[in-house]
Order: sequence, then C-alpha cells, then structure tokens
Amino acid sequence: MAGTSDTHVVIAAFNEAQVIRSVVGEVAAQGYAVVVVDDGSHDDTAASARMPGVTVLRHAVNLGQGAALQTGIEYAMRRGARYIVTFDADGQHSCEDIPELVAALATHDVALGSRFLGKAVVGASRRRRLLLRTATTLSNRMSGMTLTDAHCGLRAFRASAAPALAITQNRMAHASELLRKIRTSGLAVVEVPVTVKYTEHSMRKGQGGLQAIRILFDYFFRPS
Amino acid sequence: MTTLAAMLAPLASEEPSTAVPFSEQPLIRVIMLSGLAAIGYLVFLRRNRLPFHIVTVFVLLAAGAAAVLFPGATDDIAHYVGVGRGVDLITYILEIAVMFVLIHYYTKFVELQHQLTQLTREMAILKAELEHVTQTKTSPSPPP
Repeated sequence: MAGTSDTHVVIAAFNEAQVIRSVVGEVAAQGYAVVVVDDGSHDDTAASARMPGVTVLRHAVNLGQGAALQTGIEYAMRRGARYIVTFDADGQHSCEDIPELVAALATHDVALGSRFLGKAVVGASRRRRLLLRTATTLSNRMSGMTLTDAHCGLRAFRASAAPALAITQNRMAHASELLRKIRTSGLAVVEVPVTVKYTEHSMRKGQGGLQAIRILFDYFFRPS
Repeated sequence: MTTLAAMLAPLASEEPSTAVPFSEQPLIRVIMLSGLAAIGYLVFLRRNRLPFHIVTVFVLLAAGAAAVLFPGATDDIAHYVGVGRGVDLITYILEIAVMFVLIHYYTKFVELQHQLTQLTREMAILKAELEHVTQTKTSPSPPP
C-alpha cells in the first residue's frame, strides 16, 4: 500500500465550526495531507480547521459543496497528490475507512464508499434508510451503473482520474455528475464498505427528501 | 336584465374602425405613448450601443406607437396572418419574446455563475499557495 503523505484528503466545509476541528484532527493524525475548503462560511470554520499538516482554502463567497470539493481537488493536484479522498466535514465518516479506499486504488481508478455493503449504518432512522434506498435506485437508473449506495461523500480516486472527473455542478448535483463522468470516461470503479454515523448534527446538516427536487433540477437544467 | 342588455347593445354592435379618433381614448394613449417615449429616451441615453441595436429598438418603438395610434391596424395584420384579433397576435408575439429574453438571461446567469466559481476558486488556491510560501520562508524548518 502507498504511503499516507501522497494521499490528499479533501474536506469541504460550510458552517462547520462546531465539529470541523475534531474531524480534521482525526484525519490529520493519520498522516494524510488534509485540504479543507471553507465554502464561505459565516462562522469561524476556517480558523477552527487550521492546524499543522492542514491547508485551509477559503471561498470568498459560498458556492456549494460541489464547487468546494473541486477547489480542494485542484489544489491537491497542484501539490502533487497521487490519491485524492473526499471526506465529509460533519463527522459522519470515519477515517479508519480511508486506508481501505486508498488500497482499492491499486487496482481501480475510483473507489466509492458504500453504506450498504456490510458495515454499519449507525443512527439512521427507518425513514432515512428508505430515502437512501430510493435515492440509490433512482441514481442507478440515471447513471446506468449498479451501485449499492447512491451518494456517499466518502470516495477516493487516483490523481490521473481527476481531470476526467472535474466537477462543474456547484451544489449537491455534483454526486450524480461524478457517477455520470465515471461511466462515460470508462474508469474502473469499485465500491468499498464504509461506516456512516448519523449524528444529530449530521442529520441537521444533511440532505432531506425535499432537497432531492432541487438536486434533480440542478442536474437536468443547469448546463455544465 | 333587459335594461342591461339594451345598454350593452350599442357597444357590441359598434363596428371596429381602423382609426379611432384620439379624442375618444385620450388617457390610455397618453400613458402608452409616454411609456414608449421614456424607453426611447433611455435607449438614446445609452449611446454606447451599436447603431444597429439603436435602430432596431427605435423601429420596435415606432411599431408600438403605430399600434397605439391605429389600433385597428393590428387587427388587419392579425387577419392577414390568420389570427382572430390584433390583441391575440400581440399576446402571441409577446409570449415568444418573453421566453426568448428569459432563456437569454438564464444562459447569461449560468455563464456568470461559472465565471464566479472560477474566480473564487482561483483566489482560494492562490491565497493558500501564498500562505504556504510565506510559511516556508519565515520558518526554515517547518514542523513535520
């Protein structure tokens, strides 16, 4: 397995001052180069995330998660990253899953985290599970792939795959965009089981069912 | 009911004439014409446009003024192209024009958003790189 220093973990954060420090601290403690993109937060997310081994980029205005991830990815590329991992800022991912994702990159271009591949989904309500299942079915129909999870924010890809995966959807539709680009560019993709912890905080920050309508609008009507 | 019908009868039977005397509908005509004149004045103020654009706008304004002064003419044009009433024809043209303008500005908006994204991204990356350079300059042996 590759060393941890050539792996850049990109964390997009918007108003996450409460939890960002512990999330970033955990990832940085593993020896990964961490790139935090503060997406124009109104709180002191950027200051909270600042620590040794962590680069904090700041969007002057709020653009959306897709845009923030792409900024982080481009910065990681300029710093010579070999592997790029995207990680959620709200603390729902665990950094123990990162080595498995990166290990999968030895044989694949892209490794997508999946909540429904054996590992636990902690703290999700029945309603949440149903919503995720529905989203997965819909997502598979749209992307033409057969995945077990729709849009898990925890994924890893080789730097060589990054140009083909460049995100142009500024907001949440970037996840569907990514799947489409994986498929059309013919990259080798694999799913890796990951643990997702649903905390009160992450649920509040997360995407509700109604948000799906806006995401679908973005995906279909916002030319990219 | 019969009195109401009797009152409405002359209105319904009135023949649409091509040129309604100005004295019959003074107020609405004044409002419409001054509105058109105001648009013309604003366009005239912005002379930094191409002459072609200015001419196009003034032709459209003249057409609008003609429709105000000779309302019957729109009916004639409508009949000629196969629409029942002049008002309907104007509505149809307006619908297409509004859709066109909407799509035009939506495209511009998306383009602008894309440019804003590029700018914001470039700024964020530049700032981080600047910080990186100054950090390595001030402390020759940065913490591992």
